[in-house]
Amino acid sequence: MSPSRPLRTVVTLTLVGLLGACGGAGGVAGPASGDNGTPVQGGTLTYLEHQPPTCLYLPAAGFYPNGGILNQITDKLTWQNPETLEIEPWIATKWEINEDATEYTFHLRDGVTFSDGTKLDADAVAANFDVYGLGDDKLKLPVAEFVNNYERSEVLDPLTVRFHFDKPSPGFLQGTSVIGAGLVSKKTISLPYEQQCQLKNIVGSGPFTVRRQVVDKEVDLVARKDYNWAPPSSKHQGRAYLDEIKIIVTPEDNVRVGALTSGQADMVRYVQAYDEQTVKDAGFTIYAEPTRGVNNGLYLRPGNSLIKDVNVRTALRLGTNAKEIVDTLFTPSYPVATSVLSHLAQGYVDLSKELVHDPAKANALLDQAGWARGADGVRVKDGKQLRLGVFVSGPQPLSKQTLELVAQQWTKLGVKLEIRPADAGTQAVDIKDAEKTAIQHGMVGRADQDVIKSHFHSENRDVILSDDEKLDRLLEEESAEPDVTKRNAKVAEIQRYVIEQGYAIPLFEEPQVYGAAPYVRGVAFEAVARPWFYSVWKARQ
Amino acid sequence: MTRYLLSRAGQAALVLWAAFTASYVLLQLLPGDSILIKFQNPELGLSPQQIAEIRAYYAGASPLADYAHTLLGFLTGSFGYSIDTGTPVVERLAEALPETARLASAAFLLAVLIAVVIAFAASYSSASWLRGALLSVPSLFISVPAFWLGILLIQIFSFRLRLVPVIGGSEVQQLVLPVLTLAVPISAPIAQVLARAIDQVYAQPFVPVVAAKGATRWWILWRHVARNAVLPTLTVAGLTFGELIAGSVVTETVFGRAGIGRLTEQAVNAQDTPVMLAVVVLAAAVFVLVNLLVDVLFPILDPRLKGAAA
Repeated sequence: MSPSRPLRTVVTLTLVGLLGACGGAGGVAGPASGDNGTPVQGGTLTYLEHQPPTCLYLPAAGFYPNGGILNQITDKLTWQNPETLEIEPWIATKWEINEDATEYTFHLRDGVTFSDGTKLDADAVAANFDVYGLGDDKLKLPVAEFVNNYERSEVLDPLTVRFHFDKPSPGFLQGTSVIGAGLVSKKTISLPYEQQCQLKNIVGSGPFTVRRQVVDKEVDLVARKDYNWAPPSSKHQGRAYLDEIKIIVTPEDNVRVGALTSGQADMVRYVQAYDEQTVKDAGFTIYAEPTRGVNNGLYLRPGNSLIKDVNVRTALRLGTNAKEIVDTLFTPSYPVATSVLSHLAQGYVDLSKELVHDPAKANALLDQAGWARGADGVRVKDGKQLRLGVFVSGPQPLSKQTLELVAQQWTKLGVKLEIRPADAGTQAVDIKDAEKTAIQHGMVGRADQDVIKSHFHSENRDVILSDDEKLDRLLEEESAEPDVTKRNAKVAEIQRYVIEQGYAIPLFEEPQVYGAAPYVRGVAFEAVARPWFYSVWKARQ
Repeated sequence: MTRYLLSRAGQAALVLWAAFTASYVLLQLLPGDSILIKFQNPELGLSPQQIAEIRAYYAGASPLADYAHTLLGFLTGSFGYSIDTGTPVVERLAEALPETARLASAAFLLAVLIAVVIAFAASYSSASWLRGALLSVPSLFISVPAFWLGILLIQIFSFRLRLVPVIGGSEVQQLVLPVLTLAVPISAPIAQVLARAIDQVYAQPFVPVVAAKGATRWWILWRHVARNAVLPTLTVAGLTFGELIAGSVVTETVFGRAGIGRLTEQAVNAQDTPVMLAVVVLAAAVFVLVNLLVDVLFPILDPRLKGAAA
């Protein structure tokens, strides 16, 4: 039914070429004139989303369309400075953490209210984190990934709350700053899962509130006039500059980009790599925001009988040319990976010396491991061909094309990569079976050391279906290490270990790519690239 | 006539029940289930044990009991909850239906108009090259992929000529391009059948008789030929309703309209079983209803069929 992306691309390129030949070039405005840098109050921002939001229960805010809405309507206890990654005050004016990071005490700002008029006090904060930390079986609320080792909350006075942990939880402070930790009214947090999924039930204290929603199509946000509790480090205080934000779902890539460059929209999310130049040529701005977590890459499952030998997995890595992938399919917005983690991630260590492309060595390793080339060029051992299954990853940009290129590279090794379409049903069944799905294509963003645990631990996302007790232990030690230097050292050790064990073939650092009109100013993003519209304003054109 | 109507209505109900049962069984047979798909989503970062707990919570009684429960729900107008978004399916349908209804009915009317113009012009024109050219238009139309046409129209009329906005804009402005996109491929079979039917009627012996009585070409076409050619065309027009629904999936995605088509696409992607089931049954209901309507119209349009129906 839906045509493949390369076909669409060809069609689009043909179209653009045809039209370009018959009409005047499409450039709209150059840099806005008459702008003296003073923010303009008022106006509506039209922002085009690639996908409609799904369930808006806050811990599910990882999905970008969800985060793009929730980041405007909720505030967080703390603010993670996207430049320095330091944790700064926000709703919590200050905090104390005991030595082994098992007790966190937060002092709250006075006078903050949710948009339904109720107070954002210690009670509300405690209610929020009890759910995020423990989940709620009765209401079917799952626990949040960003809280580890949570035990209970304790309300000390209306503006002071303390959290207790049964093991050290050094990642918790950063956890209070992520979108998923957005604070909602006590009424919202006490609703069952299905109810908390729905935007109309999410009541936050953020600079915007929801005016109208057409499910799957549009969300209109309006500024809260009485908003006066932005993070203290924000230059802009008081209410948001914009009066209104229209978030319109526009799934078709070239409609989104065309609407932007023809002046029908002010800002769009998810500009494909092949559209970046079109946007720039029209005088518009590309924002390629880093996601600061585990890189886009292939994650190999040791549980698969064909690749249980570490040498075979290493050979696959040596036979993969990440630079060719970036050069062929992507743009400089997608830096080639130099480790399992992004170079902007906390605890990153440069492993580019290990991550080389060496097909000769790869072939030698496969020969040594007893995989001989068969008649059709595919390697065989004990009557079995070296054929590995992988699913196209829906959320990753150009996942299918990336995998196709890897498959070409692996053909030279005598390895057959079987690429399967991103069909949710089959995927849900087969992806947890290492024998059927030997490799997973993915990434995860979060600006904290714990991101590596989210990706690899056997009780979190567990992309490699780990049976490696040592890896689990290292990840647990990392997530329970209160000392930052020691924790970073542990993260470095894990990165090396993951590469040594051949669990990962890092490809590139995946950004979130946005395009905006030149008159859109004050564009800002949180630490993993969800937009923050609080300080955005439109210059007079 | 009443008996005819009753028996046709009974058949319609039977078809609906069969559609429900078949899709229920098929959806049950699909790999994976919506709960797994939903909660295994890595964005949630749930452990296998947590997923198992949620599944245990959701797991109904036996499949048969679940079938009976779902069927009863459908009969009483309750379609359950969307697993993807947590909203009641009825609400999702109530939001999406009018959007698609506007698009589909406008596209259908335009399609009929295009078809009539093509068929009439072809049979009225005396130059054989023009006639041939006109008659080849439907084959061209049917081979144009809807998404391509949609994007072409947007690029030309919205982005280049800036005549209609795709983003924002009034309800009418938002309808123009998608209606055109959807109407073009649908007009093709109607035009083809109408043109052929007109030809066949022209071959009937009564036409020369009417002409001999001094009727003009236009009078013959309009009063005699067209009236007789309308029956087969009506049948095809009824059948194209199915295509309208299928075509709206693509059209609504290209134009970002939140109708049944988009809803279906997303439900299939997320394997949101309750939504999929409701959409299938709804589509079947519309299809059955339209065909019932066509069957009822037949005897009214053609008096010869009255005897057969009574």
